[in-house]
Amino acid sequence: MADTATNAARTPATTDDNVLVRVENVVKHFPVRAGGFVRHTVGQVHAVDDVSLVIERGKTLGLVGETGSGKSTLARCVAGLIPVTSGKVIFDGRDITNISRRAMRPLRREVQMIFQDPYSSLNPRRRVGSIIGEPFIIHKTATGAERKRQVQELMERVGLNPEHYNRFPAEFSGGQRQRIGVARALALRPKLIICDEPVSALDVSIQAQVLNLLADLQQEYGLSYLFIAHDLEVVRHVSDKVAVMYLGRVGEAGPKDDLYGHPRHPYTVALLSAAPAADPDTAAARHRVILTGDVPSPIDPPAGCRFHPRCPKAQEVCSREEPLLVPYQESGAEPVAAGAAATGAAATGIVGGNIHLAACHFPVADGETLASVSAKELT
Amino acid sequence: MSITEVDFQAHGVEAAQEAAAPVEGRSQWQLTWRRLRGDRVSMIALGVVVLMIVLAIIAPVFASITGHPPNTAYPIQGENAAGNPIGPFTNGFWLGTDSTGRDLFVRILYGARISLFVGVVTTAIAAFLGVTVGLMAGYFGGIIDTLLARLTDTVLAFPYVVLALALAEAFGPSLTIILVLITFFSWAGIARIVRGQTLSIKEKEYIEAARSLGAGPFRIMFLDILPNLLAPVLVVATLYIPQAIVFEATLSFLGLGIQPPTASWGNMLADAQNFYQVAWWYLAFPALFLLITTLAFNLLGDGIRDAMDPRTERLIAARRMRGRRARARKRAGSEGTAGGTGGAGPDTNFPDPVRAPGGS
Repeated sequence: MADTATNAARTPATTDDNVLVRVENVVKHFPVRAGGFVRHTVGQVHAVDDVSLVIERGKTLGLVGETGSGKSTLARCVAGLIPVTSGKVIFDGRDITNISRRAMRPLRREVQMIFQDPYSSLNPRRRVGSIIGEPFIIHKTATGAERKRQVQELMERVGLNPEHYNRFPAEFSGGQRQRIGVARALALRPKLIICDEPVSALDVSIQAQVLNLLADLQQEYGLSYLFIAHDLEVVRHVSDKVAVMYLGRVGEAGPKDDLYGHPRHPYTVALLSAAPAADPDTAAARHRVILTGDVPSPIDPPAGCRFHPRCPKAQEVCSREEPLLVPYQESGAEPVAAGAAATGAAATGIVGGNIHLAACHFPVADGETLASVSAKELT
Repeated sequence: MSITEVDFQAHGVEAAQEAAAPVEGRSQWQLTWRRLRGDRVSMIALGVVVLMIVLAIIAPVFASITGHPPNTAYPIQGENAAGNPIGPFTNGFWLGTDSTGRDLFVRILYGARISLFVGVVTTAIAAFLGVTVGLMAGYFGGIIDTLLARLTDTVLAFPYVVLALALAEAFGPSLTIILVLITFFSWAGIARIVRGQTLSIKEKEYIEAARSLGAGPFRIMFLDILPNLLAPVLVVATLYIPQAIVFEATLSFLGLGIQPPTASWGNMLADAQNFYQVAWWYLAFPALFLLITTLAFNLLGDGIRDAMDPRTERLIAARRMRGRRARARKRAGSEGTAGGTGGAGPDTNFPDPVRAPGGS
């Protein structure tokens, strides 16, 4: 605990009571091994590269990015499911970086996960009562009839029929299965629930139900969420703060209205323009930024800005110098303080905080159109 | 929040509709059993296996009914003038006698005791070892996996008959050495299957969910992974029992297994080959029992495997045949009215084989 104290002393500016999780410079590399007789490491997948963020109590931090951007890996690092390569994860003032399973155990009650695939996240051989009751068994918080009562209470709370206690997961629909997953995550009354694309496998009509359930539960229990999705509208609906990830780094972050209303990073602009609009008239009038090429390999990420090979605004400096996250005001594409980066990100705002941050040498101004095509030309 | 209320109400309606249905879910075993019951071949095989087990258990009853204990020779009633075995249904010997005038039927039943005992016990121990090794290797991975997987490969690479002969020779033939030998050569195959299954189940999200709840590795292995392994292990075990029975018979046939006068199908066959020209029954009946038993176990194993996977071709084909026959009967009853129904017509009426057994 002494470690935590010194740590808190080192970054006084950001130690607020309303911060539940603080992620500091977390790096996660996966070794790439070559087969053959003697296995050896031939490279590293840079899944998460130097990410710092905070999750505030009772709030939702949305994490968006395309497949392979490192969102799920980051979530698993925060949940303590995989060890981090370097950096720190501080939960509720306690450093939980790479602590042993035994030491992690009491913290399991406070951090829970909801998974993407409601079909693969429930053991097909176990009855629902046993699945939702498992947290009580592992943490020995309730037994026998009391456990059954609590499990049925949870089932009722998430909108399941408690009578279905003895059914198997196969007898439920996708949305109901996801409710089972929510009930399981809720069983230990956690402070943080990490939602790893909880609705992307569901029908749109069911998505809304599950999202509303999550919102209700947040109000009722004061939960914090780390909400991962690739659907921008879903993230906008549920989040207070949003961070955009690209190839293991945070490209842009801020309160959701700032980020959605005044995107500064060209990647964010491209993502937003790619989201389909419900109104066909709006859709026709919009400009879509078409990114060329694929996401580069995270084994050998591009030097400088990771987005530069696909960026419509890229210039020579982008391939040399890595842009830092700097704060922006609502209007204007100029950073608040041009030299602020030198003093370190902690002093100028952090991902998940109230300040709009972006990492770009040539930020996009409001109303600026990037090299793009209109929707009409596309079709 | 109002949307969620609507959602709750909607759910209430749904729940009301479901109220009539039974609340208790059907487990995979119940479904498997229902499908197995519909498969005629499997049920016959199961009947044969059960009958064989019962016969083996009550072998002493037959010994007392016939009045012929298994190891007692009857040189007077049990042999003809030339001193050769006598045929079936003579002098109260149901299936005749063997070379020393002992009751062949009683000895076959006592031989079944040995065969079934060896088959079931070795397979049970092998399944236990195989599951343990396979689970460990698959779940922990890394150096543990490398060591255990190499050990498995080594065992599978042994020329087992040669090694079995050498060991039986070295330690002297006995029931114990047979059990040890057969178990030693059986567990590796099961371990390999279990390891492969564990590797794939380990990647499922519910394993990660269990880890995020704080479950330890052994809890995950035995409560989350093992139940998903029981089905394939059961199938493999059912198919290993006849192999073990044949292996025991082989060793006994070669004189390295069960030693006379204790009856075993293997040593009976070994002795019978000297007499088959004068006493065909002495060779035929033990061989027939061995054949029927191993065949029944194999068919039952196949049947269980098919019942676990409802998409299996054989069951679907059997059902289709039955459906066709039933329609043919119906058509025969009302001849001439079914004019235009040819070609692929009948197949479309066929109920969905995946959903039909479940009924829910």
